[in-house]
Amino acid sequence: MLKILGAVLVITAATLSGWIQARQYANRPTQIRKLILALRRLQTEIMYGFTPLPDALQRIGEQSGDPIKSIFTGASTDMNPPFNRTAQDSLQAAIESNWKYTAMKAAEKDVLNQLSFTLGTSDRKDQLGHIATAVRQLESEEAAAREEQNRYEKMFKSLGLLCGAFIVILFY
Amino acid sequence: MMYNPKNDYTFSIYEKEGLGGTPMDQSWLTVFPDNLRVLLAKLPPSLYAGLEEVRIREGRPLEVNAGGRYYFVTPEGGMTREPGAAFIPGKQDGNRLLDLITNHSLYTMEEELRKGFITIAGGHRIGLAGRTVLSGGKVEHLRDISGFNIRIAREIRGIADPMMPHLLDFKQHSVFHTLILSPPQHGKTTLIRDLARQISSGTWGHSEAKWPGLKVAVIDERSEIAGSKRGVPSFDVGPRTDVMDGCPKAEGIMMMIRSMSPDVLIVDEVGRPEDAEALAEALHAGVRVIATAHGSSIEDLASRPALSKLFEASFFQMYAVVRRSERGMAFRLWDGKRRRVQDPEWKGREDYA
Repeated sequence: MLKILGAVLVITAATLSGWIQARQYANRPTQIRKLILALRRLQTEIMYGFTPLPDALQRIGEQSGDPIKSIFTGASTDMNPPFNRTAQDSLQAAIESNWKYTAMKAAEKDVLNQLSFTLGTSDRKDQLGHIATAVRQLESEEAAAREEQNRYEKMFKSLGLLCGAFIVILFY
Repeated sequence: MMYNPKNDYTFSIYEKEGLGGTPMDQSWLTVFPDNLRVLLAKLPPSLYAGLEEVRIREGRPLEVNAGGRYYFVTPEGGMTREPGAAFIPGKQDGNRLLDLITNHSLYTMEEELRKGFITIAGGHRIGLAGRTVLSGGKVEHLRDISGFNIRIAREIRGIADPMMPHLLDFKQHSVFHTLILSPPQHGKTTLIRDLARQISSGTWGHSEAKWPGLKVAVIDERSEIAGSKRGVPSFDVGPRTDVMDGCPKAEGIMMMIRSMSPDVLIVDEVGRPEDAEALAEALHAGVRVIATAHGSSIEDLASRPALSKLFEASFFQMYAVVRRSERGMAFRLWDGKRRRVQDPEWKGREDYA
């Protein structure tokens, strides 16, 4: 009886870890897509709204779901009084502290960090150019992430279950 | 002139503050990056109270101006006249300062950059110098900004007290059309801000002037007079005052006349031909006008192409030349026919205090 309980536990644990891994692969492209949409909205805010950067980041943060939300709203909070940090510092700090809650990888982080160097420091045309570049880079990352998702998502799902079964068979 | 002034024509701003005038507004300090803010906060309090300008030039000494004198600031927060001993702000400092001044959004300041200055909350004006980008021969943008001049705006209530009684039009129960002349940095804006407040609240400073306050319209192109933040004045410009913030003067004058039915219009730094035209329009529309212009004497006016037209047609009923010395503010008055308004006490004070 105890043996069966143990076997069930092992199989559930293995299946769950497989599912979590698979979810990471499934979440990454969706989050990149959300990030791209957020940057597109930022483009609109800058181009047509003349919205100051802290307000714009706050607004697009509120429109996007977590975990992207906390990156933008965190940066916006740091820029406003009483912190008054520069746009670059605030954005980089927000990325650093919130990145672990996302499914995204180092490549996307680099893109955002690159963007933080120029955000808010030049005229509109220049800003739009930089955001467009970031969006293009993210789009190529998104395509790669989708490919990985197709390849590994199902595999990890079944792999978890199979690993569990394997361990159970081995010890039974 | 019925008014016989007993008070001194020179008027010390520092004295006024000592008497419990407006407390020193420190909002301008928030735009500085931490290291510069710490440095400026270490300046001696006596200097700090009279601080007028902070100048930051990339790779050159940090300079402060107070009471008409200049000092360099040492890395320890002391003062020196020796450029070599002074703190030298670097590129990083300039970039951070620009980021904070523009609220991290240089792209919202394109118009301001074209004009060469940004007004921050509290009405403080920050002049910028850098490399211009031209488009079709006109300045389109300013880049590589490396020079900053933070002009600290100060509200000095009562600075207009000595002048106010001279500007009263007893027949019309209003004020005269007045042009105030002074070189830059001599307190024009502070003066007309207080005039706006007094006209609007009806404190005429004269025992026989008993009519109530008038509707005042301020065209505040550079957001300096009212220091508006999100459309609401941060300085006291009076209870019956409307402010058109950030509006080109010529258009603003017409908009205000059409929409806000002002009794008195107040504009700062007229000088372009279209300003003069709009002013002429206002002067004929039955609205009293108080305007300021750069200049050091009324003779200068005739030689300014845009203003000479107004001057020659004797639109203005009163001219005031304002000058500030180390002791305070002094002014001289001329009437519309360019005769000096003489008072018995005026003699002996010819040389501006």
